[in-house]
Amino acid sequence: MSLPSFVKNKPPSEAASEIELDLTPLMSMFLILLPFLVSMAVLTHLTILEFSLPPNVGRGTTGQSTDKPKLKLTLVITPGYCLVTHGEQMMDSLPLVDEKYDFDRIRGILIRHKQELNLDNELVVASRDHVRLKNIVALMDCCKSAGFEKIGLSSATENPGEGR
Amino acid sequence: MPRLGQGRYSSSAEVEQTTFRPQLTSLIDVMTFLLVFLIKSFSVQGDVITPSANLELPISRSSRPPRPATSIEITKDNVMAEGRILSKLSDMDKADSMLIPNVYKWLVGLHGNTFDTVKQHEVLIQADREIEYSGLKRVMYSCNKAGFVDFTILAIQKE
Repeated sequence: MSLPSFVKNKPPSEAASEIELDLTPLMSMFLILLPFLVSMAVLTHLTILEFSLPPNVGRGTTGQSTDKPKLKLTLVITPGYCLVTHGEQMMDSLPLVDEKYDFDRIRGILIRHKQELNLDNELVVASRDHVRLKNIVALMDCCKSAGFEKIGLSSATENPGEGR
Repeated sequence: MPRLGQGRYSSSAEVEQTTFRPQLTSLIDVMTFLLVFLIKSFSVQGDVITPSANLELPISRSSRPPRPATSIEITKDNVMAEGRILSKLSDMDKADSMLIPNVYKWLVGLHGNTFDTVKQHEVLIQADREIEYSGLKRVMYSCNKAGFVDFTILAIQKE
């Protein structure tokens, strides 16, 4: 009398524990793919920030246009504080908080002035000489996020009264 | 005459050696994670611009990809273009004029070749994040005198 098959064969749980996968091809594939991908990996993405010279400095220097220049909101950056001006009128003064620019507050103020004065999307960033580029870029980002897409970069006079 | 015990031990050690199998599961797990991460960061397009190694670029939230343009580099010490030093920042600070003669000459030299289309009136500035605006201002002034009015600053995209 022959024994039933489940008596002759091992139970499935035991049989499964004895299956040996050959992982060599998988390891070989990993060893080829990984160095290739490591060499091609882009860990930092580059971007660009666009700006131009203000119209009275850049393209407008030819003097062709006789129109009265349109007043633009200006963000004046100094190493110690920021000013928001519209023409000759000073709108806000923002000192540094813990030796850092208060970007969120600046963004909020720019959005408010844009709505109140019904301005288009142009703004001038005027920087003093000793402001570091990282701060200028961060503030230009702030202006862009406030809805000012066209940014002009110019110099802020050290002493407006003397015209320097 | 060999002792019985010794022979038995050596043969059992041989048997253990031949049946030794390294546990690869954890290694394969690590490699799978690595593979997924690297495939995720893999870029097919590549970068149009390769920034200089001695520059620490500023960080920006902008999402515009770089495009080919006339490129000028401002490191902590020098103004450079095409791998050549055009001026030293220390010399620029001493000069009375805002114009950097070598930058102006170099850009005017390019004038005939690059002013074919409106888009090419653009200068890509690769500058170190720690430089002061005074250096950038002089470069921009020289570019403006040579006919370039639009600028882009190369930055590292903030995630």
